[in-house]
Order: sequence, then C-alpha cells, then structure tokens
Amino acid sequence: MAAEPESEEMPTSAGEGAGDGASIPDTESIDDEGYVIGSGRAGVVRQIDHDDFDPIGTLVLIAIYMAIVGAMWIFMYFVEFLGGDLTVIG
Amino acid sequence: MATFVDRYPDEAKVVQASFAVAFIALGIGAFFGLIQALHRTNILRVIDSVDYYTLLTAHGVLLALVFTIFFLVGVFTWAIAKGFERPLPDIRLTWAWFGLMTTGTVLTAVAILAGLVPEIPMSADVLYTFYAPLEAHPAFYIGLAMFIVGTWMAGADWFLAYRDWRGDNPDERIPLQPFMVLTTMIMWYVSTLGVAVAVVFFLIPWSLGLIETVNPLLTRTLFWYFGHPVVYFWLMPAYLLWYTVLPKLAGGRLFSDPLARVVFVLFVLLSTPVGIHHQYVDPGIAEGFKFIAMTNTMFLLLPSLLTAFTVVASVEHGARQRGGEGYLSWLGALPWRDPAFAGMALAGLMFAAGGFSGMVNAGMNINYLVHNTLWVPGHFHMTVGTAVALTMMAGTYWLLPQITGKTVYSRPIGLFQVVLWFIGMVFMSNAMHRGGLLGIPRRTAEPQYQNFDFAAAVGSVGEIRMQIAFGGLLLFLSVVFFLFNVAATWAEDRVDTPVDDTIPAPLSPPSGAPLILDNLALWTGIAVVLVVLAYTLPLASIVTDSGLLGSSPGFPVAISLEALAEAAASALPHVSLDAAAGLRPLDVAAEAAETLEVSR
Repeated sequence: MAAEPESEEMPTSAGEGAGDGASIPDTESIDDEGYVIGSGRAGVVRQIDHDDFDPIGTLVLIAIYMAIVGAMWIFMYFVEFLGGDLTVIG
Repeated sequence: MATFVDRYPDEAKVVQASFAVAFIALGIGAFFGLIQALHRTNILRVIDSVDYYTLLTAHGVLLALVFTIFFLVGVFTWAIAKGFERPLPDIRLTWAWFGLMTTGTVLTAVAILAGLVPEIPMSADVLYTFYAPLEAHPAFYIGLAMFIVGTWMAGADWFLAYRDWRGDNPDERIPLQPFMVLTTMIMWYVSTLGVAVAVVFFLIPWSLGLIETVNPLLTRTLFWYFGHPVVYFWLMPAYLLWYTVLPKLAGGRLFSDPLARVVFVLFVLLSTPVGIHHQYVDPGIAEGFKFIAMTNTMFLLLPSLLTAFTVVASVEHGARQRGGEGYLSWLGALPWRDPAFAGMALAGLMFAAGGFSGMVNAGMNINYLVHNTLWVPGHFHMTVGTAVALTMMAGTYWLLPQITGKTVYSRPIGLFQVVLWFIGMVFMSNAMHRGGLLGIPRRTAEPQYQNFDFAAAVGSVGEIRMQIAFGGLLLFLSVVFFLFNVAATWAEDRVDTPVDDTIPAPLSPPSGAPLILDNLALWTGIAVVLVVLAYTLPLASIVTDSGLLGSSPGFPVAISLEALAEAAASALPHVSLDAAAGLRPLDVAAEAAETLEVSR
C-alpha cells in the first residue's frame, strides 16, 4: 500500500520494470490474448520518477474539458433564454 | 504468492458476502430498470402503470442504496485490512453489521415488492426519495433504519481497526486507503444524522399511526440533508479505486498522495451543507438559504476538479512509462484491453460529462429549467449510474480474484460488458438530458399528454424515446454479461496467483503532506460547524412556520364528495348568470372562486 517503502514496490531498472513476472499469473499468454487483468505494469518500458514527469497530456485534456464547458456555457444562453418562454426567477 | 484471501481469510468471506448481496441487488434492480425504460417510452408495457412506481422505488432503492453501499462496505473492509496490514479487531462485529444490513435490506425490499401483490396489505411506493407526504408501510422505514445502523457499526469496526493500528504505529501517517475509508465514514456519520432523525422521530411513528401528521417540508429537508452527501458516499469507493488502483492498472503510480488526502478532507467539509440545492423550488425555504447552499455546492467542484487532474496525471504517468508519447497519442499506450482499466477510464470520462449537467443542476436559476424533468435522471445515470456503477463493475474484475483466489472467467466478456455499458449509457443518458430540456417529466409512467406535444428543436420525441429504450436494453444486457462473468469466476478453482495485486507507491509520497491532514478530529469539528451554520436557520424557520409535526394528511389525499358538494353549493349563488350564458366556463369558475374567497 502507499505507506510501504518505495524500494519494495518499484523495481529500479527498466528491465525489471518490464517484468515483475512473479506477480503475473501467465506471462506467456499476454501477447496472444491481450492483457491479463491488472497487468498494466507488464508493458512498462521505462521508469519515470517524480522530477522527470511532466503531465503535459493532462494539461491538454483539461484544456479541452474547459473549452467544452465554456462553449456549453455560451450555448446555454440560447437554450434557456432564446429557446423557450421566459423562466420564472426569484 | 499469497493474495488477500490467503492473508485475511475471515475478512475475505465478509467481502465476498457483501459483494454477493450487492450483485443480487444489481441484477434485480437492472431488470426493473429495463421494464421502466420500455414502459415509459411506450415500447412495451408489461405492467400496469400503477405498478410502475413500485418498480421505480425498487429500482432506486436496490441500485442506489443496496448495490452501491454493499459494494462499498466490501471494498472498505478490503481496504482497511490491506491498508493496515492486519485483520479486523473482532470478526463477530464484522458479521454483526453485515447481518443487520442484510436483514434491513430484505425487510425494505419485501415492503416494496409486496406492493405488486394486491393480496398483501403492504406497500412502499414512496420512491428512493422517501420523504413525506408519501407514506410507506412501517417495515420499509424500519428496514432502512436497520440498514443505516448497520453501516454505522461497520464504520465503528473500521475505526476500532484504526485504533489498534495507531496503538502499534503512533508516529506513522495513516495509509492512504484507510485514510479514505475513515474520512468517508466521518462524512457518513455527520450526514446520516438527518435521515435518522427523519425516519426514527417522524416517519416510523407516522406510519405506525402513533402521530397523525408530519411536517412534509421538515422531512424533505432532513432527507436532502442526507440525500446529497449520500451521492458522495457512493462516489468515494469509486474515488478510492480511481486514486489507488487505476494508476496501477495503467502501469503508473499515483501522482500525489497529499493531493488525494486534501480531496477527501474537502468532501468531509463540503458534502453536507449543500442539501438545500435539491430544494430550489420548494416553497417555505427562503431564497437566501438556497443561495448559500448554491455557493457551497459550487465549492464542491473543487475536489472533483482536483481529482480530474490527479487521476488523469497518474494515468498519463502509466502511459508514459509504457512508452506513450506526444500530447494526446499517449492515450493509445494505455492497456485498453484490460476490462478493469477500460471500465474505470470510461467511467471517469462519463463522470466528466456528468459534471456538465451537474453544474446546470447546481445553478439556482438554470435549475428551474430542468427541475423534475427527465434531465435529472439523465444526470444521475451518468454519475451514480456510470461513474460509480461502472467503476464498481470494472473494479470487481481486479478485486474478485483477490477475495476468492480465482482468476476472472473471461477477460473478453468483461471488456465487452464494460464497453456495452458505456455505449448504452451514452444513448440513454444523452436522450434523457435532451428530453428534460423539452420539459418531459421524470417519475412518470405515461409521460404523454392529450392535446399537447413536446416540441423538439433537434430530432423528435419519438427518436428520444427510442434511444432511451435502446440504451436501457444495452445496459440490462451489460449487467447480464457481468453477472454471468462473476458467477462463472466464482465457480472456478482456486489458483496460487489469480491477479497482480500490488499497489505501487505514489510519485509524491505521504511524507510531503502536512500533518494536519491526518487530524481527523479537527476536520470532523469543522464539518459540524459548517453544517450548523448552513442548517440551523432554515430548520428553525421551517419548524416555526408549521411546527414539528405540521398538519398535512397522507397522500394521495382522499377527497370527500360531501365536502366538494358543500363547497359547490355555497359557491353557486355567487355564479354570475351572465358569465355562464356567455359560455365562458373558466371565467365562471374563477369568479365563483373569487367571491367564495371573499365570502369566507
């Protein structure tokens, strides 16, 4: 769990990171049948630490989300005030 | 390599039992959902429209309360034992709360379903929002009270486990998963107080005939005092899985442990003093109180947006470690063929869309546009119906092997099932939102009216109905596949290593989190103060207006013909013959009513 020391959980070299085969039930089947459930670590090709990680993709997704919220906020004006009769406020 | 069931066999049995009850409720509730979707869209009507409300109540209670909360107690029991690395303090206490919750559930379900059998003098067609003036059989309320008390005992069980752990580890940070469990339970204790008062002091005595009337606005307000935090109670196990399991499934690590703690503390503080935003159109509550509730609600966007950032960044970390590149193409490097990952990721995507309609619900002025329309079920089928339910189903594919020691029967069926749920919900929920904008009401067996058509700017009402029915069918099929996969998994033989159950350490460790975040007593205190500030004046005003017990009879109101005839007779002398001769019946009636009012 989160409180466990990092060294026990995360292999240090990329080679080990791709494996950790002991905890994956059937490594042979991964290529043939797709992913065994919970074996996302089996596809790891490199280790990225805190300081090396720049979540630029997250920024892009959140920017897209905000753009949609903004567009819908403008669209709402047409739905609420121009699309129907006046609504009672207050 | 040993997994959960090998390390904590007793706890694993409780988790298995909780999941079993949850999945039975899911199967029954989903079946009723299909019947309703076909009924209200007029595709296929196999039940009487009067029975629609019985099934609607069962659908809401079995899915929104039983499925979600039984799954929650299972996940939380797993998280406490795994996180504290020790068995629960006394397994008899654990079985006691499970037994009480299950007994309460059976009692409530029987009270609801007896409504389908006319020979049994029992009914509880009060919907999941069970406030007055709708009145249920006492067994319904008593069962619910037992269910809630069971969850309180479960919380006590987990806090006792925390006390034991703290005794041995006086200076350590609370492990993240147990931290999430404990904060969620604090929120639950604060918020269930309202519904407990409503049920124990008003609804049970009223349904037993000990008191004649209740104050409907008071029971409504007490229900919504609990009715909004309960949605976070459903959501928190999903958040627990998104924060601690999803990054691992993606091949990465949680981006920030301190940020996760901040989010759960914010939910303790902000979940409860917002319930009045469900009552924007209730007369009897001053606008100012509603405005305060709206402001508090908008603050609740903060932890959800923090979650969007942290969880997406953690998933991106997994994608980058798996070789993902670029601004968006890293998404392709994620393990989309793993049903546990794909289901949770799609659930998160749907939750983002649910956020859009949630913001509309939360705004006082635009809420009037959609209040009590089909928009609202459209919204909560995205949130509790997908963000929570789909995460729970997807999480099952990773958790079930740990608590049974068996590998999942079929990964492809699992993947097909979670994608089918997502597609079904896109159809149904989108159409419900659009229908709501046209003014189509919710909670209605036959939303068709004579001499009136809902006007659609885009598409048609018929097309919206078809989408709702089709989506509902896909959702039901998805549940069938899910339950088949779960049952087939359960029937398998045990293996040594059914799943990779390790959870990697966060990128930003808990040591970076301010110590004050772990001060549970402080956050409880502040949460109580906020609730007192938000609710004292509105409740005082409601009680001052019409008393603790009000004066409203139960509904549906029986109209006495005698009283009607008397009123008509006394109004007759005031009817203007001129108006009557002029064939203006509305004017006649209005005039008569006016003079009657004056003559009183």
